[in-house]
Amino acid sequence: MNRRLTLGLTALVLAGCANDPAPHEQMRLTAQAVEQARAVGADPQIEEMRMAEQKLARAEKNMGEEDYKRARVFAEQAELDARLAEAKVVNLKSQKQLDALNARITRLRKQLGELP
Amino acid sequence: MPSLIRNGGLLLSLALLAGCASQQSQQVLTEAELGFQQVKEDPDVLRSAPKDVIRAGESLARAERLSSYWGSAEDVEHYAYLSQRYSQIARQHAELNLNQERLAKLELERERLQLALREAKLLSAQQQGQWLEEQMVSLAASETDRGLVMTLGDVLFDAGRTELKPSANRTILKLVQFLQINPRRAIRIEGYTDNSGVAAENLELSRARAQAVADMLADLGIDPDRMEVKGYGEAHPLAENASSKGRAQNRRVEILISDEQGKLGDYR
Repeated sequence: MNRRLTLGLTALVLAGCANDPAPHEQMRLTAQAVEQARAVGADPQIEEMRMAEQKLARAEKNMGEEDYKRARVFAEQAELDARLAEAKVVNLKSQKQLDALNARITRLRKQLGELP
Repeated sequence: MPSLIRNGGLLLSLALLAGCASQQSQQVLTEAELGFQQVKEDPDVLRSAPKDVIRAGESLARAERLSSYWGSAEDVEHYAYLSQRYSQIARQHAELNLNQERLAKLELERERLQLALREAKLLSAQQQGQWLEEQMVSLAASETDRGLVMTLGDVLFDAGRTELKPSANRTILKLVQFLQINPRRAIRIEGYTDNSGVAAENLELSRARAQAVADMLADLGIDPDRMEVKGYGEAHPLAENASSKGRAQNRRVEILISDEQGKLGDYR
């Protein structure tokens, strides 16, 4: 009886694996998100970008091994890692713009104050 | 009997493993719940990134649902992770939005100050009574083998300082006017010093003075993209450094003016 249970469980687990369809669409979305993050200037110095690239590579490897469940998990996480990296880079740029503009305004105020 | 013990041991270790996994997934889940709590109550985030907040909530609900099933620790962690990420992305978008609003406001403020400064400078130049006269004279630039060059003398800076003195106003305004009439022309602002003092410091001083001129022009509305800044330090003296008169001539800022297509010559 024990053996039958084990068999049944094994079958169930196997079925679970076999039922996962290949996540082609997710892979495409993830590759696109990573590419877009790279295009705005995210590089592996940003932790989230490094994670995105590593996970995308893992997902691609899993696709090759037909381990579709893992591939989907890694690809989904990599997509959001890349989107966060992109948002952080864009934010950093806007912060720099703000700092530069503030410096110019301070300079203008100072000059106006110095005029006779 | 022995098999029962063995099975018991196996079950126990399985239970332990599951316990460990779920403890970790419970922690990730708690973090995701906390993250979602913060973004969903923040009106700025809700306004800037409603979709990401919704997705954070959906992923979190999924993780919570799965956490009541045995053996789903990995899935719980996965959806909790996604939820956490959506919350973080939403927060970044909100910050970006706020920054852009601030930028727009500051840009208006900058334009207002720029206009005020230009008018004030015009007024102070007129009060000096020479504005009209200066208007008649064309830009005091000389044609050299490098092209059109305008020279700002050393009297426009205090010794060792990089700030432009108010007496520079008229010359600078003339240059602004010239650049406005010739919108395609670009300039290279070059700083020079005499040879007294340390060469490296002179190089830095010459660059900083050239930059001060560029900053002033930018403050008066000239697009910084039209300006290059270069420090030459003690190089290319106009006169001998032996006399104080020669040294004064060598301390200067030169403004090299491009051709009508905006093309500047090579660095010297």
